[in-house]
Amino acid sequence: MFDPALFKLPGMRRLTVILGLLAVVEGICIIIQAQFLSLAIVGLWHLQTLATIVQPMLIFAIAWTGRQLLVVFKNRLMYPIVEKTSGDMRRQVMQKLYRLGPSYVAKTGTGNVVTTALEGIDKVQTYLMLVVIKVIDMMVIPWVILIYIAWLRWREALFLLAIFPLIIVFMIILGYAAQAKADKQYVGYQRMSNHFVDTLRGLPTLKQLGLSKSYATNVYRVSEGYRKQTMAVIKVAMLSTFALDFFTTLSIAVVAVFLGFGLVNGTISLLPALVILVLSPDYFLPLRTFASDYHATLNGKNAFADVQKMLALPVPTHRDQLGTQPLDWQADSDLRLSQVNFSYDGEQPALSQLDLTAKGYQRIGIIGASGSGKSTLINLLGGFLTPEADQGSIKVNGQAVSHLNQTAWQQSFFYIPQNPYLFHATLAENIAFYQPEAGISAIGQAAAKAGLTDWIETLPDGLATQIGEGARGVSGGQAQRIALARAFLDSSRKILLFDEPTAHLDIETEAALKQTILPVFENHLVFFATHRLHWINQMDYVLVLDHGKIVEQGTPAELAAHNGAYVRLRDEMVGAI
Amino acid sequence: MKAFFATFKHDTWVMPYLRKYKKLLALTLFLGLMTFFCGSALMFNSGYLISKAARHPYNILMIYVPIVLTRAFGIGRPAFRYAERITSHNWVLRIVSDFRKKLYQAVAKHAVAIRQNFQTGDVLSILADDIDHIENLYLRTVFPTVIAWMMYLIIVIALGYFSWWFGLLMFLMLGLIVIVMPLWSVLLNGARETQSRKIQQTFYTQLTDAVMGLGDWLISGRQTDFNDRQTAPIDEIASLRRADHRFQWWRDFTIQLLFGVICIALLIWSSFYWTTDKASSNWIAAFVLSVFPLVDAFQSVSQGVSEWPSYQRSIRRVNALDTTPTDETDQTVLTESFSQLQVADLDFQYAEANHQIFKHLNLTLTAGEKLALLGPSGTGKSTLLKLILGDLQPTNGSVQLNDVPISRLQNERATLFGVLDQQPYLFNTSIMNNVRMGNPDATDAEVKAALTSVELAPLIDGLPDGYETIVEEGGARFSGGERQRIALARILLQDAPIIILDEPTVSLDPITEAHLLATVFRVLQDKTILWVTHHLAGINYVDQVRFLEAGQFDMAGTPQELYATAPRFKRLYDLDQGHE
Repeated sequence: MFDPALFKLPGMRRLTVILGLLAVVEGICIIIQAQFLSLAIVGLWHLQTLATIVQPMLIFAIAWTGRQLLVVFKNRLMYPIVEKTSGDMRRQVMQKLYRLGPSYVAKTGTGNVVTTALEGIDKVQTYLMLVVIKVIDMMVIPWVILIYIAWLRWREALFLLAIFPLIIVFMIILGYAAQAKADKQYVGYQRMSNHFVDTLRGLPTLKQLGLSKSYATNVYRVSEGYRKQTMAVIKVAMLSTFALDFFTTLSIAVVAVFLGFGLVNGTISLLPALVILVLSPDYFLPLRTFASDYHATLNGKNAFADVQKMLALPVPTHRDQLGTQPLDWQADSDLRLSQVNFSYDGEQPALSQLDLTAKGYQRIGIIGASGSGKSTLINLLGGFLTPEADQGSIKVNGQAVSHLNQTAWQQSFFYIPQNPYLFHATLAENIAFYQPEAGISAIGQAAAKAGLTDWIETLPDGLATQIGEGARGVSGGQAQRIALARAFLDSSRKILLFDEPTAHLDIETEAALKQTILPVFENHLVFFATHRLHWINQMDYVLVLDHGKIVEQGTPAELAAHNGAYVRLRDEMVGAI
Repeated sequence: MKAFFATFKHDTWVMPYLRKYKKLLALTLFLGLMTFFCGSALMFNSGYLISKAARHPYNILMIYVPIVLTRAFGIGRPAFRYAERITSHNWVLRIVSDFRKKLYQAVAKHAVAIRQNFQTGDVLSILADDIDHIENLYLRTVFPTVIAWMMYLIIVIALGYFSWWFGLLMFLMLGLIVIVMPLWSVLLNGARETQSRKIQQTFYTQLTDAVMGLGDWLISGRQTDFNDRQTAPIDEIASLRRADHRFQWWRDFTIQLLFGVICIALLIWSSFYWTTDKASSNWIAAFVLSVFPLVDAFQSVSQGVSEWPSYQRSIRRVNALDTTPTDETDQTVLTESFSQLQVADLDFQYAEANHQIFKHLNLTLTAGEKLALLGPSGTGKSTLLKLILGDLQPTNGSVQLNDVPISRLQNERATLFGVLDQQPYLFNTSIMNNVRMGNPDATDAEVKAALTSVELAPLIDGLPDGYETIVEEGGARFSGGERQRIALARILLQDAPIIILDEPTVSLDPITEAHLLATVFRVLQDKTILWVTHHLAGINYVDQVRFLEAGQFDMAGTPQELYATAPRFKRLYDLDQGHE
């Protein structure tokens, strides 16, 4: 019920003690309030005048107010810790994310990462706010009240004590039953609940097939099926609330009847009887409020565990083996990989026994069928993926490194994927992303070199136009040009990693873009993964990949000369086979 | 207030459903009312029971009725509550089924058959969420509020029966709790909600930027900037939540204080009204104790009502959907088999744009002809397809099938056109069901034959569940090329004379592309094909090529003619073949 990880939060132990003490005070307030309310009622019952009950009423009012103030006070005491914890957590998640890098995002999914950082932590916040105070209340207040009731009359106290664990046992049993029922139907249930969105998304297809009208009945039918299944689960799930309700209200009824008999027999007088009756709902109240928020706490608990799990993930170390300053890549610099292996999550190798040497301003084309490991190799070269430890070696200018996730290395290259990401910012800010200090004229020149000038002139605010998510749409070709403008703006990065930059473009856009890209190759080390054949003509070295292995490498002319993997691949790509 | 009524002025989503399933709704409200009534009655009765018992009645039978009633109410409350929850969920889920059908029909009306994009997917998810929201509006706001108000009325009338001035006093005091406080909450929350959404939105955008652009952040080495960027929205969100929480604490505190005051008022009233003799003074404890169970019921009204602004947005959005039925007069059928598709002197311009997309465009496609349409993105290839299918109406000129305008053949569409687009949608069901959608009357053998001719049979035979394999969401079980083949099989069953290929290979690698195109043109040999493509792979399969540029065709001819006569075509072709 109480997550041990909660106690590890700073200041939590101390706070628990304080909240526990305040719960005792609250319990005492509840007793005073019950005692004096009963005193006032008994006074009137004895047909006394209003004047005689003024004092008990006042004390009741004070105790009542005090009790409610304590509730607010406890919340206010709790809140700063909750706020700090959730704020810290958001920051930690972001920092962790930065260190885990894009391969983590690729694995987990953008949507999931955003959800964890946004809604997940909101849930954690709600959870912390709810669970700590409620659990402490539940562990303190009932017993304070019970002690007082026992002091008044032990028989009712014993009854109330006995019923408490009974309720919990029933709730747990019924909770499991509901879970079992839900689990059993889970798969079908899940599919039905997603069916509607699935159908909406498929609407254009339904229209193409001429089914869109008749399908409305199907939507209704599936939804009704979903309703029936949901109701079946709800009927069981609600039983646990029913059990709680049933036992608490019935206990109060039983106590009332007990007290009635006691009064008839004269073994108890009205005042203590009334006090016990007033106190019994309050005895159950903390349990009921806890149970009513149980599902919210359950979600929060899972979200809390998810965040903790993410924060505990290992991050790449040894990132400064090449220093922290960008490399000065020269015509005689070199990168050597020998016998390097890589696998996703220790499964079968995605890349194996890589041997490759890149020197100075070489242009290296990487080709292969889809799934042959082109992108994986580019990601490995970019340091987004970490090769198998202790196998093979990677050397940059003779300096051995354990992976390429090196601060210095990463600040020396540009990475241009198929769909470069455009930030939700102005066009100028997007171009200057790698050089935030660049002046507007330099940005303009870079944009001109990238062939963006004509397009910029059509934009309402020119370089100051907002682009990216939810703002002005940018076509695939323009996005590539923006990425190129980044490279034009920052000439200090001498290495370029391209991952299928033109695969999705139409042939004319691609032809035009090629004319812009070619000048960037000058004085750069280029790695160019592609399956568009014409790029190979601009490369002076080619790696042919197949099933994660480099099966051939050499200059295009050499490779074309003998009838190997390269020739076969080319033929297959133009559809000659 | 005005905004509240404006929301319901042309409402077709919330109010009509309150009227539909009236009986179930009445039952739900009755059960909810009984829940709270029993809760209060239990304490009322218990208070009376022990007061009466304390008078030492000479016979136990004197308190027999209250004893029985105490037990009855004790069991009644949980039983009614359970029943209320079941019926309210049942009611709401019934409505959800209606909602879904209605939303589906509204969206279906506007669904355009060509190229679904990511954004529309998003919009649809939002609309689907809106329905869930309205579901919560009933469960969290409408039901608790209406039940609390009914309880409020009963209490005021009951007390007014004993003394009108005390009834009036309670009318005012409880009114503060169930009317004034909720209104105050919703007013304050309405303002905060707008601000909150703005901050949430910024944070969301920032986060998406951070996550999607993580690679760029990492390479740029701007770690400090990255961290700093998150600080502002994190702090804003924190202060927003703080304000929210504070408000809720003090609102609940105020409501509790009001209950304290009501309690004291009851004591004072009792001292005047119920102290005439011993018998009547037994009722004092009953009245005072019955207040406490009401706290729960009445307090939740404020919270429920304060959530209104978020529901309001959803209601407005779904009400903005056009649900009027389409005009189907003037539709006709093609009497003889398809012989010619003609686009004549076509002008087109989007209503809101100032730029004309097509100027005097002409195109004729006779039965069996195969035509490839090329052009840089943004020149209107997709728009032309929409015009040909009748999803858009030309500004001038016409699109005709055998001399019948396409706008009059909309009901016939699926029998005339088959469409294979960039990402054909596969529904999350079996391969068999997906393919059969092309022709619901097809036999299993026909479906299997279609799958065999698109060369999927060996793959499917190798799957453990064979033809009954579930394709998973969006067809995720299969690769891009395989998904296209399943969709192609579906089109084969559909057996329409004209096939539109809308860049079906754009996301495929060249090898898969070459194989797929070979299959496509083999199985669709005798069909009329209009193929929009982004490059020249497979161009030799077609009879005619058209390049769209600035609203007109600037290159037209057979691939062989163009290669020989148009240098631009030759250059692009060579580039595509890797010869340049």
